[in-house]
Amino acid sequence: MTVSGFASPVVAQVTAVEASLLAFVVFTALATALARDVLAAVIVFGAYSLGMAALYTFYRAPDVALTEAAISAGVTTLLLLLTLAKTTRIDHEAAFESVNLPAAGAAGFLFVGLLLTMGDIPAIGSPDAPVWSNPDVSQWYLAESYAQTHVENTVMAVLAAFRGFDTFGEAVVVFAGGIAALIVLHREVFA
Amino acid sequence: MSDAVDDTDMTDTPADPTGDSEADESPDADGDRDDTEPDLPPHRAASRSGRLDSETRQGTPYTESQVIMPTVKVVTPFAFTYGLFITFHGSGSPGGGFQGGAIMAAVVFMIAFAFGIEATRDWLANTVVVALAVGGALAFAGIGLVPVALGGAFLQYDLLPIPILDPVKYGMEGVEIIGIAPIVSGVLMGLFFLLASGFDSEGSGFGNGSIDEDGSIDESEPIEEGGSLGEGAADAGGDR
Repeated sequence: MTVSGFASPVVAQVTAVEASLLAFVVFTALATALARDVLAAVIVFGAYSLGMAALYTFYRAPDVALTEAAISAGVTTLLLLLTLAKTTRIDHEAAFESVNLPAAGAAGFLFVGLLLTMGDIPAIGSPDAPVWSNPDVSQWYLAESYAQTHVENTVMAVLAAFRGFDTFGEAVVVFAGGIAALIVLHREVFA
Repeated sequence: MSDAVDDTDMTDTPADPTGDSEADESPDADGDRDDTEPDLPPHRAASRSGRLDSETRQGTPYTESQVIMPTVKVVTPFAFTYGLFITFHGSGSPGGGFQGGAIMAAVVFMIAFAFGIEATRDWLANTVVVALAVGGALAFAGIGLVPVALGGAFLQYDLLPIPILDPVKYGMEGVEIIGIAPIVSGVLMGLFFLLASGFDSEGSGFGNGSIDEDGSIDESEPIEEGGSLGEGAADAGGDR
């Protein structure tokens, strides 16, 4: 692990679109953490999710991007706004929270520590990346999923067929989440 | 509550009933024009009267907008069709039941924000929401259990008794379309309506105004005496 490892090859490949998306995501994430008004924080958090969805699309993960856009940017923002409408809005003098220096120091320390590991992570899109070149997992699914499940979308083949039981568990968790909300809010009907 | 008793002198006491009725009516006149007062469900009326402070400051969430309503009217069919496409075409392109169900639920949220949450709640009955969530869960379990009944494993699609069509592909489509998508859209709609109706504060300290000695909720206090607003807030803090 050398410091120059993450400086030269990776940074050189970053395109303008990618760099601006990354800057947007970092900016909105910081603004979400620092905004003093909760309404502003919720709105900026929605923008952050939209930026993440665009970034996932850019990295060719459209399934994840769709989920991020629909759930995080859309539904979660709406539910948070709906909850905020039920509370009292406090008028703040300052636009931003004052930064807690020990907390910022701890976060910065963690950030630098994680940044130092970047040199060992394979470049984005590298054909040698273990997650891609592994013949027993990724390559096996890509080779076999159409032959065994007859659907073109490998993500759906893995979710609904190879890991179908897990997906059933996830669907039941979503269903149980709705029931739990009913119980917590002391209600017997949804609508 | 000794503060309230101390503050109300003899001249204030006769004025109280009129002040009460005014405080009760004003939030209704301001927002939710489609609501008629008598058929408010009790939980709704209770939660509303408990939040007088916030509602008089920023109004109810719903405002009838000449921009939002036509926009939503135009966008709704396209967005709903896109949700259906994402759900039904999940096997050949990105997407699937989870994403499509979320988009279809978001269409309902859009309609609710444009035309009023209460109107949408009446239009989309509780039965529909529950049927979507429960029906989806049962359909997913059913598709999984049919092969078990035929001597196979859970979700062993090739044993599904589907004539003509490929049972593996259409079994997976069935799980996505009649299993996951209804669960997700039903539960999301349910969460939306639950959060919109708010917390039923019966028997808990949340969202209530200050409570008098006789047990009645004195909701007019923070509005009646503008100077004692801070006191009211301090009272509520002490109650919790």
